[in-house]
Amino acid sequence: MSKLVTLTRAGRNARTALGRAWSDLWFQNLPTTPLELARIGVGMAALFHYALATPYLFELWGEAGWMPSARMLETYDPWKQSIFFYFTAPWQLLAFHLLFLFCCAALMVGWRTSWVKWIVLIGHISYNYRNPSLTYGVDKILACLLFILCLAPVGRAMSLDRVRAVRMAKLKDLTATLPPYRSPWAGACTRLLQIQMAVLFFYSAVSKLRGDDWWSGDAVWIVFTTNEHYNRFALDLLASQYWIVNLATYGTILIELAYTFLIWQRRTRPYLLAGAIFLHLMFAVLMGLFYFSFAMTMGHMSFVRPEWLTRLGLAWKRKFGDMEMIYDGRCGFCVRSMAWFLAYDGLGQIRVRDFRTNPSPLVSDAQMEKALYLVLPDGRALPGFEAYRYVVLRVPGLWWQIPFFYMPVLSRLIGHPIYNWVAANRGRLSSMLRLGLRARY
Amino acid sequence: MISKVWRERLAYTAMSLFVVWHTAAIIIAPAPDNSVIAVAARPVFQPYLSLFRLDNPWDFFAPSVETGAELRYVLDDARGTRHTFVPTQELSWYLPAYFWYRSWYYGIMDEIDTYAEGAAAFFCRKHAGLRPVAITFVEYQQSDFTPDDQLAGKHPTDSEFVTAKVLKRVPCPNS
Repeated sequence: MSKLVTLTRAGRNARTALGRAWSDLWFQNLPTTPLELARIGVGMAALFHYALATPYLFELWGEAGWMPSARMLETYDPWKQSIFFYFTAPWQLLAFHLLFLFCCAALMVGWRTSWVKWIVLIGHISYNYRNPSLTYGVDKILACLLFILCLAPVGRAMSLDRVRAVRMAKLKDLTATLPPYRSPWAGACTRLLQIQMAVLFFYSAVSKLRGDDWWSGDAVWIVFTTNEHYNRFALDLLASQYWIVNLATYGTILIELAYTFLIWQRRTRPYLLAGAIFLHLMFAVLMGLFYFSFAMTMGHMSFVRPEWLTRLGLAWKRKFGDMEMIYDGRCGFCVRSMAWFLAYDGLGQIRVRDFRTNPSPLVSDAQMEKALYLVLPDGRALPGFEAYRYVVLRVPGLWWQIPFFYMPVLSRLIGHPIYNWVAANRGRLSSMLRLGLRARY
Repeated sequence: MISKVWRERLAYTAMSLFVVWHTAAIIIAPAPDNSVIAVAARPVFQPYLSLFRLDNPWDFFAPSVETGAELRYVLDDARGTRHTFVPTQELSWYLPAYFWYRSWYYGIMDEIDTYAEGAAAFFCRKHAGLRPVAITFVEYQQSDFTPDDQLAGKHPTDSEFVTAKVLKRVPCPNS
């Protein structure tokens, strides 16, 4: 009887341990930040790639182009669907293309991510299957990355969706913070993306080992002699120093193989990640495979540890120190603007102070009546436009505003009067806003 | 009504099944066709792999690096004059169009019967001003080019390293 109890207990313990190991492998409660890096990169790559295809749209995918759909449908596979098979007029292709580009941009900035990502995936697959003769390596990688990103809960960090969520909270209370999103499913999707990259590198290395050119160490030489990747500078160097060819050929296989097995360990991951990115940098610079290298690098982002990004954020925050923005809490317009502005401060670099309820020891109320102020760690206080200008450069979420605030001469020439007018009329703007809100609700 | 605990268990099981399924699919997809396991499993995964465009061999520049090939076409006009075109020379290496066109040119060379007609129609339209009658596709295949050749100041596309092969002659649609 006691043996049976012991066996049952051992079985239960083994099951629990296995269950825990399974959860640790797949369902760690992780943030989405590595996936968000991949989302931004994939969105950017797709936007750039397909936007540049616009002048050739009808040639590449149109009925009167290289591949009429009738010819395409001769080898019809019901599992290889393209939305373009169902288009009957050229304007439909153009309309979809514009919608697709818009969705790529939205995916990149993380606006309405939960549905735009599916349109990007459907569009990308449709372009691929409508004219398969156009596709090459990067299209395959992009489809694999996009598919996992579609399943993943992306858009919860480093995105406009996150900005909107934070803004909603800040509208109720400017000091409110939203905890970073974490979920076991985010952990599972990160793992799937990592496995995708490891599988890709493994097969890429193994298939190379089957070839004589790679065994003999000559493959890199042959690559640069093809008219497609001809590079006179590289060939001149390699011809006189042929050992570099051997080194580059075997090095490529070594990095690809080592990546598959050593990328998982905490200690070796940074080196393997650096090796893989170096490899792609070489492909980009020497072979002109910019788009391919960029897409691959975005896939490697899945191996970036969230704590590396957290540490980077803290270091950034430490470098510039805490900033305090002093605003007029009685002005509705100012509070709403502040909520928008602060929503972009993902690292929490800016503290806020309402001078009406909590006067600043550094800036007088009379000064505050005229403009918003930013107090820096060294005690300096910058007013109005200069405050925004200072912050924009130091808060990564606001970098997109740099062109507006740092255009030589013009930014200050236009920015100061605009800010002063808004500050002087903020009471009227607040009333208009209240009226507007009343009319809406 | 399913209790919260059971709902969570169900979700966990569904997520576990999916990650196993997807991982198996992406491992099976590039596996060689002579592998018994891959051959047996492929029919199960193929619809999923095809539908989401996940079916990839990941064999970049492998098993061997192919020596370069270039597509050229010869246009016969109504007066019997022949005009030779090298389409890759019209492309800028820095634009994605280079890769699309290049992929298409490879497609034409690799599967001439599939793509020749569409390509001929396209080139005939493009050079309508020359009153084209037919297009002949020619593949210029590069051969071995050694470091000594490079040091001797030669170029991989010099005539001694290239062999021309006529692929197909296709009449223009309206000729």
